[in-house]
Amino acid sequence: MSDNGHDTPVVYMENIVKRFGTITALDGVDFTVNQREVVGLLGDNGAGKSTLIKVLTGVHTPTSGQIYLGGEPVKIPSPREARALGIETCYQDLALVPLMSITRNFFLGRELMRNFGPLKLLDVQEMDTQARHALKDIGIHIRSPNEKVGKLSGGERQSIAIGRARHFGASLLILDEPTSALSVGETHKVLTYTLNAKERGLSVIFISHNVGHVYQVADRFTIIRHGQIVGNYTRDDVDEQDIADLITGEREK
Amino acid sequence: MTTLALRLRPARRFVVESPVAGPAITLVVVFVLFSLFVPNFLTWRSLSGIVNAATLTGVVTVGITLLMIAGEFDLSVGPMMAMGGYLYALNTVEGGNPALAVLLALLVPGLMGAVNGLIVTRTMVPSFITTLSTMFIFRGIVWLLSGGRMLQTIEKLLVYDVFNGRLAAIADAVKGANFRTAALWWIALVLLFQFILVRTKFGNHVFATGGSAGAAGATGVNVKRTKLMCFIISGLMSGFAGILLFSQFKTVKIASGAGVELLAIAAAVVGGASLAGGYGSIIGGFLGVLIISMLRTGVVLTNLIPADNFEAIVGVTIIAAVIFNNWIHRKA
Repeated sequence: MSDNGHDTPVVYMENIVKRFGTITALDGVDFTVNQREVVGLLGDNGAGKSTLIKVLTGVHTPTSGQIYLGGEPVKIPSPREARALGIETCYQDLALVPLMSITRNFFLGRELMRNFGPLKLLDVQEMDTQARHALKDIGIHIRSPNEKVGKLSGGERQSIAIGRARHFGASLLILDEPTSALSVGETHKVLTYTLNAKERGLSVIFISHNVGHVYQVADRFTIIRHGQIVGNYTRDDVDEQDIADLITGEREK
Repeated sequence: MTTLALRLRPARRFVVESPVAGPAITLVVVFVLFSLFVPNFLTWRSLSGIVNAATLTGVVTVGITLLMIAGEFDLSVGPMMAMGGYLYALNTVEGGNPALAVLLALLVPGLMGAVNGLIVTRTMVPSFITTLSTMFIFRGIVWLLSGGRMLQTIEKLLVYDVFNGRLAAIADAVKGANFRTAALWWIALVLLFQFILVRTKFGNHVFATGGSAGAAGATGVNVKRTKLMCFIISGLMSGFAGILLFSQFKTVKIASGAGVELLAIAAAVVGGASLAGGYGSIIGGFLGVLIISMLRTGVVLTNLIPADNFEAIVGVTIIAAVIFNNWIHRKA
């Protein structure tokens, strides 16, 4: 992806339309994420944020429109395929399995195996070691890789999802409402991890209702309303109140 | 709270974290109480009887537990067991081919399990409703196959001894010990599937599917295929239980296996599996079946309650065991 030069967007979604029966959830959306950029994706409930992300992550197939990754047109038929293409998603409540250990979550769907005669078995020790190192690497210290994720705080869970994305070489990290249920201190940590991820070369789509949180980390804001893009803004263009007004439609571009 | 996990000594940690700990403690407590207070309980005759009575349900429970960890139910195991029993019986008696008999007795219930799995994963009808329906449907298919007739034999075939032979060496060495090869098959299956559950990719995906199907799907786990596989395994286990059934009783009828589904679910839950999915162990299910079988024998031996009323005791046990298992895990 890096040999495409610095100008090629990581993601370019062109004229995306998604209909569910008679309902048009996305009505000709253009959406871009550049390299090493944090894009805040904002919109009210039902505006189409989730649908747009689900199209990008292979959960939904668009009715029409084209997705380009690193300049190449691609089809993304499944979440598995999205992951293989370097798109890692941390869903609000769906990033991790609470009853499973940190290690098992970290490697879920990408388990390390070792050969045991003709059998392929989970390489539990190697996965423990790698999970611990990968998390330490981005400043996350875990007590034990065998601890159940359900016992971790919301911020710790997000951090594990972020660490996982980085470890597996994702080029784009999607954070879906990462701070919605967190305390102030925890929120601060997650915002820091987000900026860390960007510093290490990832691009991030940061989805949130909380304009204040998005404003702290995003380089650019994309606002969506009624399935259409209202506009793209940088911090120089708008302040937090402007963004809030644009989300609700109290002010037009 | 935060550093608790590290401060706990390994033994304590095992108790609060392993799904096997709760049923293991329950088993020991029940065993010790009965041994102390119930005459004739602590005899080889009783103990081997407990194991033998548990074996059929135990084999079914292997599949039920796996399925429950994946977050699904199977109420249709009874007729699948009867189906396995008939196919095995029809193809062993009067000079049949035992290898073909075993193959068919596994294959057809396996296909029935696949039907359950496909309905659940394609139509999104909850497995409780799906398998409640297929329980009736499969019973009807068994009726068609058998023409409604009970099948019996007095033949003594090698294949019956393979699946339910007397372990003569033990019987000769220990007076009253009447263990059967069926128990060895059961234990082998328990160990095999416990190993698959904790040491293979498939097992990992079973936990993830039951723990959070959404998160599992988002990380690329094929949730539908994982569930389908578990339904097929439940069918295979039921078919195998049918093989053991006929090898033991030399009789199979339409109603064979009726009620086993609830006993197996009870055993899985007593054995620490979560009804909501994502938690449990095959070994726990194994212990759960033994606990229930032990209660049956113990209650019968006490003569306090008529043996026919033993289900009431099972009911009490299930609730008590679940409360106990939850209490242990809250201690973590």
